[in-house]
Amino acid sequence: MPTVQLFITCLVDSFFPEVGEAMVRVLRRAGTEVEFARDQTCCGQPAFNAGLRAQARQIAEHTLRVFESSRGSVVIPSGSCAHMIRHNYEELFADDPLWLPRAKALAARTYEFTEYIVDVLGITDFGAHWDGALTYHPTCHLHRGLGIDRQPRALLANIQGAEIRELPEAEDCCGFGGIFSVEHPELSAEMLKRKIKNLEATQSPTLVVCDAGCLMHIQGGLHRRKMKQKVMHIAEILAKG
Amino acid sequence: MTPTSFKARIRESIANESLQIALDNNAQRRLNGRAAAFESLPDWCQRRQRAHAIRAEVIAHLDEYRDRFISQAEKNGIIVQRARDAAEAIKIVLEAVAAGGGPGARKLIAKSKSMISEEIELNHALEAAGQRVVETDLGEYIVQLRGEKPAHIITPAVHLRRHEVGRLFQEKLGIPYTDDIPTLTDTARRVLREVFLTAEVGISGVNFGVAETGTLCIVTNEGNGRMVTTLPRLHIALMGMERIVPTLDDLALMLSLLARSATGQKLSVYTQLIHSPRRADEMDGAPERHLVILDNGRSALQHSELQEALYCIRCGACLNACPVFRELSGHAYVGRDGSIAPYPGPIGSIISGGILGFEQFGHLAQASSLCGACKDICPIDIDLPKLLTRVRAGHPYDKAQNGQSTGIGLSWMSRAGLKAYGWIASSPQIFALSQKLAGMGTRILSPFSQWMWMPSFTGWGTSKDFPRFATRPFRERFQRRDTLRPGSGPAPSSEASDKQGEEEKEVQVPQVPAQDLVARFSQEVEAVGGHAYRVRPEELPQRLIEFLKEREVGEVMTWDSIPPLNQSSLAEAGVRLERSPNATLRVGMTGALSAIAQTGTLVIPAGKGRPLSTSLLPEIHIAIIRTSQIVWSLEEALQNREVRGASAIALVSGPSRTADIEMTLTIGVHGPKGLFVFIL
Repeated sequence: MPTVQLFITCLVDSFFPEVGEAMVRVLRRAGTEVEFARDQTCCGQPAFNAGLRAQARQIAEHTLRVFESSRGSVVIPSGSCAHMIRHNYEELFADDPLWLPRAKALAARTYEFTEYIVDVLGITDFGAHWDGALTYHPTCHLHRGLGIDRQPRALLANIQGAEIRELPEAEDCCGFGGIFSVEHPELSAEMLKRKIKNLEATQSPTLVVCDAGCLMHIQGGLHRRKMKQKVMHIAEILAKG
Repeated sequence: MTPTSFKARIRESIANESLQIALDNNAQRRLNGRAAAFESLPDWCQRRQRAHAIRAEVIAHLDEYRDRFISQAEKNGIIVQRARDAAEAIKIVLEAVAAGGGPGARKLIAKSKSMISEEIELNHALEAAGQRVVETDLGEYIVQLRGEKPAHIITPAVHLRRHEVGRLFQEKLGIPYTDDIPTLTDTARRVLREVFLTAEVGISGVNFGVAETGTLCIVTNEGNGRMVTTLPRLHIALMGMERIVPTLDDLALMLSLLARSATGQKLSVYTQLIHSPRRADEMDGAPERHLVILDNGRSALQHSELQEALYCIRCGACLNACPVFRELSGHAYVGRDGSIAPYPGPIGSIISGGILGFEQFGHLAQASSLCGACKDICPIDIDLPKLLTRVRAGHPYDKAQNGQSTGIGLSWMSRAGLKAYGWIASSPQIFALSQKLAGMGTRILSPFSQWMWMPSFTGWGTSKDFPRFATRPFRERFQRRDTLRPGSGPAPSSEASDKQGEEEKEVQVPQVPAQDLVARFSQEVEAVGGHAYRVRPEELPQRLIEFLKEREVGEVMTWDSIPPLNQSSLAEAGVRLERSPNATLRVGMTGALSAIAQTGTLVIPAGKGRPLSTSLLPEIHIAIIRTSQIVWSLEEALQNREVRGASAIALVSGPSRTADIEMTLTIGVHGPKGLFVFIL
């Protein structure tokens, strides 16, 4: 039975624990042994993206230490955090001969959730059921950064009862971008407005994402507008059934 | 008072409805056009990787390539000077203008598009020195009349709509108000034609310099680039020192990516390859050509960790794809002192600071969600998000300091927050405690809803609510054993994975039979707005005579000889044949060195008895070629030895065109309005 080390991410841990619980259910149903290292905190992405590399290193070093003492694949419910470890750790530790190999070792065993299920476990059908329409938003770091798109779409296509509706301009960023959404709130707001307009056009009540950051951003925008649509993590959909 | 801070510009741009419509149209049309153009290049992923490797090689060994390029260009008779910075470049240009182009101290300068000239603010310096300089690219002309800077590196007037251009022309050129784009374009043609014919000096940019041959490659659609390098006596070309490719083969590759990315064309209408000044036996082309190669901070960039930014070929695709540029246009990207950055958008947020200083422009790099649309669309696969994070990290010139650096352009609030978070997230105990406190705190602030309203000064609260912290975070919920035992529930089915078939197919350039070459060439000529006719050699004179008669044309500018055509038959029919450049004639007739099937392009060399103006000045351009002259690709066409030998080559793909007003394609700006190819 393969062992999975959850890297649950700071956002899921703090704001969306139910996404983490759904992810555990799905991974267990897929036949993996799920472990959770309690010392984990955050991958350091917020500081890295903001340009605060000293802070990013501090957090990244902590993360490396936490997972080095564990075994199995590290699986993450957020494309951008997986991207951080897979690509940006190498950048962050580029000039450090001691830490770089450790960063690369973690990168080599790190997977985004849907990628792990489809590419590593070879599962695309969980026998999940869903009544109604679903719309998928390919989040930027997942889709462009990691090249993961086929995997979540394959998982969604096999959900019984769900009608998958394409999101217009699906690949456009929702305007989150971490610190960007705070530093440039007006730009972020315009991008979010366009994303929500496109979601409305699908008349789908549910938007599916594979990133807690984008989930928080789009759901926050919908709530501010008093709109009924719900943004869900793909694990929550797969866990039903 | 015009607000000048970057944030104020952002708010101003977003509030400007007309600008927003213009930018949405630009993004949509450009992205659609680009996507369609790349469909005709099935091996584009491989080309992109090759292009990346070539640019990386050049930038890594820039000194060698630049020296080879300079010595070749000098051998060809071009006067090459290097400028360390803007002041030096301006001095070189001012001296060349004062000394060349004709008598008198005050000259009329016709200028085609050059981003280098924007970077060094050349027009300002020329005017201060008493010279008269006129921008001749339609978009640049519009922004010059408005006293503005270009709002986009490819489409300078992207921020304007047709009625604004109409009012501008009414006011500045004294024509009756119209918002009809062809009428506006025609007005510019008329006014600027006069400038081309009387200018003593032509100034252009350079898209690529070719190291092996010393070639200057200049790409335009309107024909103004050809005009300013062909008609005035003095031509001064401005080029950034990084814009070098090793060989003509590499040039062909870059051109195939550049035009598709920039404007959605397979090849720009006019791609010029300039080797030397006018030769003694030639009737046009500038007799004196200068090349100014500008450093202006590029050497420093080359040796920094932002080196990859120098791979850029200035196609502007990252501007079109960027969701932030789409809200702003180039005028909003301003420095600390309120001055507009010479290069906007994702690439501009890196190189503007790289060239002119990060103290001034570093904060622009924060204006990105790092969504990666720019990297995705970049024809050279430049990792723009990575470079943006490097600018944000500061000290790009000093790797040793990187660990100590702090985010450039961050507000104090974000900086303080992230620093505190760095401390919290490095300790699991403090992290867990903070979660707990935040969980309780936000529960008190928002007892009934999972989503909390936030004031707009927080940034987040401008457009969205914020989630309440969980009172029981995941770390408290995780149980080593779940109620669901492993293996329970519906068994997931395995699948053999559809990973195969994703790999790019190797695309080979086919051996194309002659018949197909002719058919494809004709089809592409028609696609770019020209006309292609198959005729038998014996019919040709009669067809031409009829063609001219239909248009009531009695005089034709023509080459000394166009091999398949016996020109005396035209003379016998009463057509007057003019051999030297003459701007009053309506029809010009040329042959071609070769023709390119893939792009519908004519390869037209300069030389004795074949002035470049014949295919440039008249309203109608007739080209006569034989089927045997048609080759498949640009690469093949550039392998022809005569290409290297000619003083200049014009690659012509269709009639002159522009889309500078509202992205609306308009035929016939400065060059011919009609292109008719007779294939024997």
